[in-house]
This record gives sequence, C-alpha cells and structure tokens, in this order.
Amino acid sequence: MNLSNHSIVTRMLAIDRRFIFMLIALATLIPLLNPINLPIMISPEVRAVYDHMESLPEGSVFLLSMDFDPASKPEVYPQAIALLRHAFKKNLKVIGLTLLVTGTGMAEEAMATVAEELEKINGTDYAFLGWRPGASAVILSMGQDLVGTFPQDHYGIPIDELSVMHNVKTLRDVDYAVSLAAGFPGVDEWYIYGKDKYRFELGGGSTAVMAPGLYPRLRAGQINGLIGGLRGAAEYEKLLDQSGKATAGMDSQSATHFVIIVLVIICNVFYVISRRQKRT
Amino acid sequence: MPTDGIPIDVLIGAWVATGLTLFIYTFLYRDNPLFKLGEHLYVGISVGYSIVITIYAVGVKLLWVPMTEEGQWQLLIPSLLGLMISARFFPRIAWLSRISFAFVVGFGSGTIIPRLISSNVLSQLEDTIRPLATMTASGLTYTINFLDPKSDINNLITLIGVLSVLFYFFFSVEHRGAGQAVARTGIVFLMIAFGAAFGYTVMSRMSLLIGRFDDLIIFSGAEYGRPTFVLLVLTIGVLVYWAYREKQTPQTTAEEKS
Repeated sequence: MNLSNHSIVTRMLAIDRRFIFMLIALATLIPLLNPINLPIMISPEVRAVYDHMESLPEGSVFLLSMDFDPASKPEVYPQAIALLRHAFKKNLKVIGLTLLVTGTGMAEEAMATVAEELEKINGTDYAFLGWRPGASAVILSMGQDLVGTFPQDHYGIPIDELSVMHNVKTLRDVDYAVSLAAGFPGVDEWYIYGKDKYRFELGGGSTAVMAPGLYPRLRAGQINGLIGGLRGAAEYEKLLDQSGKATAGMDSQSATHFVIIVLVIICNVFYVISRRQKRT
Repeated sequence: MPTDGIPIDVLIGAWVATGLTLFIYTFLYRDNPLFKLGEHLYVGISVGYSIVITIYAVGVKLLWVPMTEEGQWQLLIPSLLGLMISARFFPRIAWLSRISFAFVVGFGSGTIIPRLISSNVLSQLEDTIRPLATMTASGLTYTINFLDPKSDINNLITLIGVLSVLFYFFFSVEHRGAGQAVARTGIVFLMIAFGAAFGYTVMSRMSLLIGRFDDLIIFSGAEYGRPTFVLLVLTIGVLVYWAYREKQTPQTTAEEKS
C-alpha cells in the first residue's frame, strides 16, 4: 500500500507538462465555445475611470494614448475600444496617439473602427496624431507645445486645419487623458512627465502584469483610476452595457484560473506527501 | 475558396495569423522547425516594420520634408548629433560619438532626475506617511475598512509594510531579536507582493491565450475558408513527419558508423 502510494506520488510529480497544457487549452476553449456568462463585479478603480468620463461635459478634450503593440492586443485593445466608445457617445473631442512605433497601425485601426461605428468624422470629432519618436520627451514636448510636437496628424493633415484641435495648444488644455500601457513608455511616464508637471487629470489602463505596480500611483492619487488587463476591460464593457471581446473572454479566464488553483493545490499536496515519505 | 465579400488582404491576414499562431504553439510539444519559422518571422517582421516606420516618420516627415520644403535647416544639428553616434563603428573617429552621448546623458539627467524625485520619491513618501487616525468634529475616529485603501487601518498596514521591508534590506544591523521579527514581517509583505504580481502575471498570460484562441475560433468560419482546421491538420501532419524523421536520423547514423 505504501509502495503503491509512493508510486502514485512520484508519477504525479513527474507528470508530463503537456498534459497540463492540454488541460489549460480545454479550460480556455470550452467556455469560449459555450459561454455561461459568469457575473462580472465592478472594481472601484475601473468605476473611477468610467465616472470621470461620465462627469465630463460635452465637447471636453479627451486624450487617449495607446501605448501598446500587437503583443498585448488581447488585453489592452478591448480597453481602447471601450474607452473610445464611451468618449464618442459622450460627444467628447477625442485625440488619439501612440508612443510605441509598433502600435501605430493598431491604434489607428481602433480609432477608425469605433469612429465609423458611431459615425464620427476625422478632424471634426476626433484626431489621430500617430506616433512620434522620443517617448518621455514627446510627453514633455506636448506639455509645452502640442502643435509643435505634432505639426501634422497621422494622415499628413496640418493640425491647425483640424477643427477638433482648435483651442488645444498644450497638455494643459486636455480635460482628461488616459494612457493604455504595455510597458515603457506608459502610465508611469504620462504621470512623471505629464500630469505631475502640467496638471491635468490622468487615468490608466494596462496589461495585468503591470497593474500591481500601478496601484501605489492609484492610492497616492497620481492616477484617478486603473483598468487592469482583460478583466478591467470587461468591467468597463459592463459599465457601458455593451459587451465586447473582453466580456466574452471572462468565462475562459475564470475557468483557467480555477484549473490553475486546483493544480497548485494538487501539486502542493503531492509535494508534502513525498517529503513525508522521504523522511520515513 | 471563400467569398462572402471579405477583402483579399483580410483573408490573407487570417491565414497568416492562424498559421503563425499554430506554429508558435507547436513549441508546447517541443522545439521544432515550425516554431523556429514563426519565431524568426516575428523577430524579422517586427524589426523591419519598426525600421520602415521610423525612417518614414523621422527621416522623411520630421527631417527631410521640413528641411527641403520649409527651410528648417537648423534640423541639421540634431541630425548630425544622431549620425555621430554611428561613428562608434569606425575606430578612428569613434570619439565623435562621445559628443552625442554627452548630449543624451546631459539632457536625460536634467530631465529625469527632478521629475523622478517629485513623482516617485516625494509624492509616494507623502502617501506613505498618512495620519493613522482621523480627527473629526465628534473627536478622534479610527476607520477599519480593509476594502478602502485610504482607511486608517490600511494606512497603518502600509506604514508597517514600508518600514519592515526597508529594514529587511538594511544589512548593516544583524537581524536578531526584535530586528529579526521586523525583518520577518518585511519578508511576509514581500511574499504577498510577489504572490499578487505572480497572480496578475498568470491572468495576463491567460488573457493572451484567450485572445489567440478567440482569433482561431473566428478564423475557423467558412467565410475565411476554415484556415484553423486546414492549417491545424497540416501543422500536425508536419510535426508527425518531423518527429518520425527525428527518430529515424540517429538510428541511420548509428548503422552507418557500425
């Protein structure tokens, strides 16, 4: 009996990792194919971003810096879509840009897709400024002279000719800015070189990996809210009452987390048993 | 082939994205040529895309056009500083790059240091040292609400956490007696922080997996020509053939040697 136990424990601890990969794949795939719509609770940090957007009067200037690239698309892109939908529905003046060169195409796609969906016109309702090199220096430069930093938009139209950009000369003219980040430059840089110097309200969105590092900024009031990962995007979609990619992925997220928790517990149980067996 | 009015570029994109996703995931079986193909394409395309965009956005839009069409010849100065960095490749004039680096370091330090002290040191320090109890009109109150980051109890926990972790990394004093208790408390706080970070990392990785699977499900539709199923069968076929060849190769070599 003891020998048999020993054998099971040894075999379980040396289980082929591809078996675990298969379990995770199934836990992800099955809920995507057969959603059960588990409830989504709204966290205070996501609600803070939503509430601030709601509080902005029509015609306020909203700046969205999409500082992520295709590698982080599944997590951060739904955040961008949800925020843009909210901003366009509120008839805010939307200014989009990116500080990551590899994110230019995706950021432009997000702006154009949501603008078309809500029948907004480029130049009148929104502007996409594109990318400029310099990362932190771009933020500093925008704080002093936004038009000088981006003399033309992404499509080559002079900024002066875009009616949406009238009265927006520096970052101080922005009513609310949100940085959606997947690394450097991101929310940290927008606070350090932007809000802290030029005093405008700033919110953050990020990949889940980055989120814990941004909580000190949230607590200190350096950012007014935080949308963390796919989960944060799903919460925002729920607040908007418009389901999207993030909401669809939440069942899978819960299922995979459940599988991982069970696996961690099982592994620890077998590890403790094996240590006891070695002692005896 | 599929129709349904899907533009040809979207269709090609769907097939390429599906193929490369499957190629990359073959690594979960083991390292293989399909994975290497996907990996090399990813690196190459990322670098190529960045170079092209940078040349156009910087070289053309920010330098060439302003200089030739608007006469902003002062832009030659930053261009020259940038070119001088490349002097490092030529030993005889490598010293020129130091001028550019001096400019970068000087500008960087001057810009970053005051901003970091203000944002990361002073503001965070101010947030750490908050009142541990609240004085109201009715007297001294103490709020115990673990869900409110700014409650008095959480202010106390934050203070204990910061001080104990700082003490843990203070190695000039031996961690004995009361010091050991404080250092151990610091370790507990560190472990909780690492646990939270790891949990978020797992969530992040699973989100990426969900994103890829979501695309694979979309591209399994008839309107795209079912690339997910076609390429999955092809990928498995190539992997089986490759694994078979791998098994055969060492045996042949051994026979040849004998």
